[in-house]
Amino acid sequence: MATEVDPTAAEASTAARRPLPDDELLDMLHMLKLCRYFDERMEALYRQGRLPGAIYSGRGQEGTHVGVAWALADDDSLFPTHRDLSAQLTKGLDLKRVMAQFWARIDGYTRGRDGNSHIGDWSGNKTFTVMSHLPIAYPVAAGAALAYKLKREPRVALAICGDGATSNGRWHESLNTSSIFRLPVVWVVNNNGFAYSAPNALEFPTATIAERAVAYRMPGVRVDGGNVLEVFEAARAAVERARAGEGPTLIESVSLRWRGHAGHDPAKYMPNEMLEEFMGNSDPVRNFEELLLTDGVITTEGVDELMKRVESEFEEGYEFALASPFPEPGDATKGLWVEDGYWSSEPGRGGGTEAG
Amino acid sequence: MTAPATSTGVEAGAAGHGAEPRGKRADDGQATYLIAIAEAIWEEMERDDRVYMLGEDIAVYGGAFKVTEGFLERFGPDRVIDTPIAEETIVGMAVGSAMEGLRPVAEFQYADFMSSGFDEISTVLGRYHYRSGVPIPAVLRGPSGGYVRASSFHSVNPEPWFAYGGGIKIVCPAFPGDAKGLMKSAIRDDNPVMFLEHKWIYRRIKEQVPTEPDFLVPIGQADVKREGTDVTIVTYGALVHKSLEAAENLAQRGISAEVVDLRTVHPVDEETVLESIAKTSRALVVTESYRFVGIGAEVGATIAEKAFEHLDAPVTRLAPPNMPVPFSPTLEDAFLPQVADIERSVEKLSAW
Repeated sequence: MATEVDPTAAEASTAARRPLPDDELLDMLHMLKLCRYFDERMEALYRQGRLPGAIYSGRGQEGTHVGVAWALADDDSLFPTHRDLSAQLTKGLDLKRVMAQFWARIDGYTRGRDGNSHIGDWSGNKTFTVMSHLPIAYPVAAGAALAYKLKREPRVALAICGDGATSNGRWHESLNTSSIFRLPVVWVVNNNGFAYSAPNALEFPTATIAERAVAYRMPGVRVDGGNVLEVFEAARAAVERARAGEGPTLIESVSLRWRGHAGHDPAKYMPNEMLEEFMGNSDPVRNFEELLLTDGVITTEGVDELMKRVESEFEEGYEFALASPFPEPGDATKGLWVEDGYWSSEPGRGGGTEAG
Repeated sequence: MTAPATSTGVEAGAAGHGAEPRGKRADDGQATYLIAIAEAIWEEMERDDRVYMLGEDIAVYGGAFKVTEGFLERFGPDRVIDTPIAEETIVGMAVGSAMEGLRPVAEFQYADFMSSGFDEISTVLGRYHYRSGVPIPAVLRGPSGGYVRASSFHSVNPEPWFAYGGGIKIVCPAFPGDAKGLMKSAIRDDNPVMFLEHKWIYRRIKEQVPTEPDFLVPIGQADVKREGTDVTIVTYGALVHKSLEAAENLAQRGISAEVVDLRTVHPVDEETVLESIAKTSRALVVTESYRFVGIGAEVGATIAEKAFEHLDAPVTRLAPPNMPVPFSPTLEDAFLPQVADIERSVEKLSAW
């Protein structure tokens, strides 16, 4: 079990290496590039003191994020963590509103009630508003999947957590319960090597996370997070299995967290050779770009044009965020209870664009 | 309403376990608190297909206290779901299914075990709507409280833990009619509601309970259960009954005590409490939740702050010390507020 990486994949035909139509592959490259550029630029702004709050880089793990979210239909739900903003962007979040959230503005998805990647868009793109206590969204994903099952709706919930969260009791509770009830859910673990500073060896005693699926009688699949198509195909199979009523799947996608846990963390605990190995050989963005170039799906000029588009999207988002007003101070206590109507009406926009 | 005398010994099956059936309404229409709660859930499940139940031992076994007895046969396994012992996941599944349009009623075998689902309750259930605008119409229910010789892990009053931080309405009814009307309101509410059923009351207190399908008691409204002029006793849960007994005894000694039953402990109905204090000028706050950082601390502080000009005596609290509930009858009786303690406190206040 565990590894379902096909050792002969490299020898397969180019068509078999590309499981999606070319226009969709180009969209996927755009998303990968956008997520990478966003991550790099936001860190730069953070270090310049131009971005308030915190950042949680997902750099190096875009293959996992884009790959799993690509496998979901519009009305399937996604339960991510703060590391998984790229998955939320793939699911359809508006970059402008995401950036407004980072700058604490009223047009952010949480109307300034939360910051950075603690974001979600349940009413639009069916993504859960991220919480920090991991894997806190796993049991909730089981609940959404339970609703799909009880209502006989052919929908799927997909939850992501990191390797560190697999040490928590809720991880066991959720996998166990989902398998007992054969829930239409996909459990993704973004194994990026570290839980803040703790390496895998301090998180779980097994060789892989995927092999723990045996204990729950569900398939456990281990994929290369540096290969977005491999991740996508595993996720698509798991989503199809869930939708067919055959129950949950555990996917372990292996990558490395290129940056620290958060913007303040220089990650000196991470061995240099490990970082060089992953950045050199398992860069999901560069690997995918090279595949499309080699296969002639895109040209170098096409890549340049794509990057220009990405840059202008970021600039547009940045301008939108800074022009969006802060929430009005008088609204701080609204929206706790449904009946006060705060969330079902347009919020006040009189908070100005200068922080106090 | 009939309130049997408090037992002083160790009762067999006191913690509520056991195979005794839930029972039925008497011919005269009287129902126990246990029956009233079951009726409310039953009627709401018949009214609204979105309502379903999940929890440990609720389906085949009918629940440890028999609240859900017979529900599986009537509503089937899709709406009466036995879960593994996984409280974080029970709460999480309630939240996730509520986000997708269902109206879950999750049972905790004892309210004590809500602490095993603490993070999903406090962090997700209580805080999700404020940050996202998504309604979470989930009810968490379970038996709370002491006076039944059940010791530290089957006597907890968890309401202060979950009132802190906001976002969850917390209901603690004392009478069968209130329990039925509040349960129906809880299930119809678009916000999370924690419904704490006092296990001492379950089979002890009976009264005429309305049968109208839309009989609702609003969440957030206190109720004056006995009118008086000398001292106000603010309380909830089992202590409403002990306060009423004390008030009856005090009346024979010429002291008139008013008993305000909070019914909902979060948010508190300040208006009803303050109106009563304006009338009596003396406040005794009696709770089974701890004196330290308990519901009584908050209600007492509110009275001191907002009714200062009416007060003729210090706001007084009667509540257990900040430590685990002990088992032995002599210890538990000394630990929890008793009728005689309430009488003494009221006499002291009225003499001020």
